[in-house]
Amino acid sequence: MSATATLGNAGAMAGSAAGDYALEVRGLSKSFGGLEVIGDLSFAAPRGKATALIGPNGAGKTTVFNLVSGVYTPTAGTVLVNGRDITGVPSRRRIHAGVARSFQNIRLMQHLTVIENLLIGQHVRAQGLGALFSPFRLMPKHRWWKEAQQALDECGLGAYAQQTVGALAYGIRKRIDLVRATLASPSLLLLDEPAAGLNPTETQDLLAHLRLLASRGTSLLVVEHDMPFVGEICEHVVVLNFGRKIAEGTLDEVRQVPQVREAYLGSEEE
Amino acid sequence: MIWQQLINGLMLGGIYVLIAVSFTLAIGILNFLNFSLPGLFMLGGVLTWALLGAGWHWSLAMLAALLAAAAVSLLVEQLSYKPMRNADPELPLVSSLGFLVLMENLVIVKWGSDQQSFPALIPDFNLRFGGLIIGTAQLISFLIAVGVVLWLSWFLKTTNTGRRLRAIAENRDTAEILGINLARLVPCVFVFSAVFTALGGILFALNYLQVSPFMGENIGFKGVAAMIVGGMGSIWGAIVGGLLIGLVEVLSIYFFGADVVNILVYGFLLLVLIVRPAGLLGRPISREKL
Amino acid sequence: MSGYQTGVLVFLAFNVIAAYSVYLPMAAGQLNLGIAGFMAIGAYTSAYLSNELGWSMLASVPAGALASCLLATVVAVPVLRTHGIYLALATFALGQIIAAVFLNLEVVGAAAGYPVSEYVSPMVVVACAAGVVLLMVFLSRTRYGLYLTAIKNDATVTDLMGVNVRGMQISAFAIGAMVAGFGGALYGHHYSFIEAQHFNVLLSVFTVLYVLLGGTQTVLGPLVGAVFFTLLPEALRASDQWRYVIFAALIILMMLLRPQGLLTASLLRSLGGRKQGVQQ
Ligand SMILES: Nc1ncnc2c1ncn2[C@@H]1O[C@H](COP(=O)(O)OP(=O)(O)OP(=O)(O)O)[C@@H](O)[C@H]1O
Ligand SMILES: [Mg+2]
Repeated sequence: MSATATLGNAGAMAGSAAGDYALEVRGLSKSFGGLEVIGDLSFAAPRGKATALIGPNGAGKTTVFNLVSGVYTPTAGTVLVNGRDITGVPSRRRIHAGVARSFQNIRLMQHLTVIENLLIGQHVRAQGLGALFSPFRLMPKHRWWKEAQQALDECGLGAYAQQTVGALAYGIRKRIDLVRATLASPSLLLLDEPAAGLNPTETQDLLAHLRLLASRGTSLLVVEHDMPFVGEICEHVVVLNFGRKIAEGTLDEVRQVPQVREAYLGSEEE
Repeated sequence: MIWQQLINGLMLGGIYVLIAVSFTLAIGILNFLNFSLPGLFMLGGVLTWALLGAGWHWSLAMLAALLAAAAVSLLVEQLSYKPMRNADPELPLVSSLGFLVLMENLVIVKWGSDQQSFPALIPDFNLRFGGLIIGTAQLISFLIAVGVVLWLSWFLKTTNTGRRLRAIAENRDTAEILGINLARLVPCVFVFSAVFTALGGILFALNYLQVSPFMGENIGFKGVAAMIVGGMGSIWGAIVGGLLIGLVEVLSIYFFGADVVNILVYGFLLLVLIVRPAGLLGRPISREKL
Repeated sequence: MSGYQTGVLVFLAFNVIAAYSVYLPMAAGQLNLGIAGFMAIGAYTSAYLSNELGWSMLASVPAGALASCLLATVVAVPVLRTHGIYLALATFALGQIIAAVFLNLEVVGAAAGYPVSEYVSPMVVVACAAGVVLLMVFLSRTRYGLYLTAIKNDATVTDLMGVNVRGMQISAFAIGAMVAGFGGALYGHHYSFIEAQHFNVLLSVFTVLYVLLGGTQTVLGPLVGAVFFTLLPEALRASDQWRYVIFAALIILMMLLRPQGLLTASLLRSLGGRKQGVQQ
């Protein structure tokens, strides 16, 4: 049904050897009260690479993220992460399966400081009652502080560590949201419009950050409207429209597909 | 005799219906759990009593009490609801609790904390049907309560203002975009709910011939139970819930004695909250906000 | 210290304990309007154990706290399934039920009240309150405290970070109830008399009010609120009724002018300089 430009698709449908794909979605559907928002969606994101999920407004991209991260339960279909079926895994356990995400509308804890937000992001790696009840916030030299500070320093945000999130500029918060997601050391990172609202310098910083993550083996699934940005890092592109896949391939390949041109008709396509 | 108890339960329920409707208006339309309402219930009864004591004619005393309740309610709107409707959800609730405490203690300061006896305004004339006895005061109160609530239901359904209010209940932002003047309509809701609940207080005093600064706490709070049991935001729910709580109360007195009333009434509320939080006639929880 | 001053200090200590029993679940976004009920559980359980079974206070007071904690755990499982307004109302109903049960329970004196045979001295009460404050400060310096704040801010995101949101909420509710039970148990043993009427809705409501007055963003907010609530009317030498009138008016004004409470995180940060965290 989908006008497919390539390769990737056939592999995904055939069912792959565990581990070829960071994320694989098979026959995924989601309806809200009879209204189908995602319909029979299948695609795969190769491991260690960046895949883009694009489509016009309301196509269902964020909904796909919500299905993969477990915020919504799918009406039908399966979700596999690194070959493991996580469809029935509760949202809270998915981060243990290696899935982390950022949010389209930044969802940091407003009243907390930047570094406190990052401490929450570390949770997966601080398990057990000992970790839960250690009064480490009285110990400024504790490794959890150091780790969080280091992650901030790495992306040049170190200076903001002690500031309250609510008081920071949009672009900074956006980046911090991303840093928090990476602190769980996910194998698959879902980024919902990471470049939206960033100025050109910030966008360059973001690109550098994402390349760093990819070089460390993190697989990325990126929702983004900024096509040059997508072209920069994503080798693989999946196009959604009205909850269905209309194309898949490299950015140049999907651009050629008539349905894609039609879907974007004069809007985003440069 | 059980039938007599059922009648008494329904009559008491009529008063709960009034309070429950007030709560339901505030929560259904404004998403505001207005805990000042039990205070306004008390104010209705106590002010009427005080003005009667000062020699006022009963009609003027009641009217003045209703007006005073409406005025306080507008103050609640200005100080508790309006500034905080977009803030942390517990703030307006807590602020309205502040009004409850304020009213209760001001009344105590002025008239003391004792229960006062309310003069019998309606001649003690009982109607008999077979073996059943219905007091005139009971019957009049019940008819007024049910009449007023049915009028409200009609008002919300058919008048322009009613339709606008329901639009706000549906979605306040959309209503605003559609050009509905919230600044004019929201005070209406506060006046309506204040008048209903204060009327409940007056009818309670008429029937039971007593008022006290704590009647809001003891009786008014049961209106919250009635609203939840019936279903938040639903007028018919408030009617069903109010009558049901009245029945539960009277029957539990009949079967187990007056002491266990609170256990059963609030036990019933807790059960409903756990098993069916949306209440008997309410919509499922979705738009809820503290 | 004069008897009057001791009296005020003890009153303050009880208010502080109560404040933290409300604060802990509130830090996780849960409004507990039935805290007086949990105080009653602690008070009556410990009094019964001291009176009838001859337990030492060292055992009966903790047992009272534990009883309250256990009851909270049992009811938290169904009650915390509801949230927001429904949770506030469920706890409200629960408080009413508990008070009504004790009002009718003959073994503990029912409406006539229940004398308690053992006596806790003022200094012990104050020390216990200080202990509660220290425990709360300790908790606030752990991940546990951090996660409670996170849940209040955004439960969905906290869940996605892998935190067991429900478990955290149940435990906060239960520990809060334990603190309330502890306070209730001390209360009975200090004043040597308890009556069910004392543990009414208004006690719960007042506690919630002064916790919010102090502010819930930081762990010291409830302490500030309790101090304010206790000392301001004393300073004004007001009668009991005027005390409540003034306090209620103050609450309404505060919520209007400074809804985040007297003590906020940013205020504390600017007061305390930048000591926390890693020095750069
Ligand atoms: N919880 C929900 N209930 C009902 N409908 C929903 C829900 N979540 C999403 N939708 C609908 O699903 C459709 C897809 O929404 P989604 O947010 O996934 O789009 P999107 O591709 O992320 O759009 P955008 O580019 O604007 O972010 C929209 O029509 C939206 O209204
Ligand atoms: Mg989206």
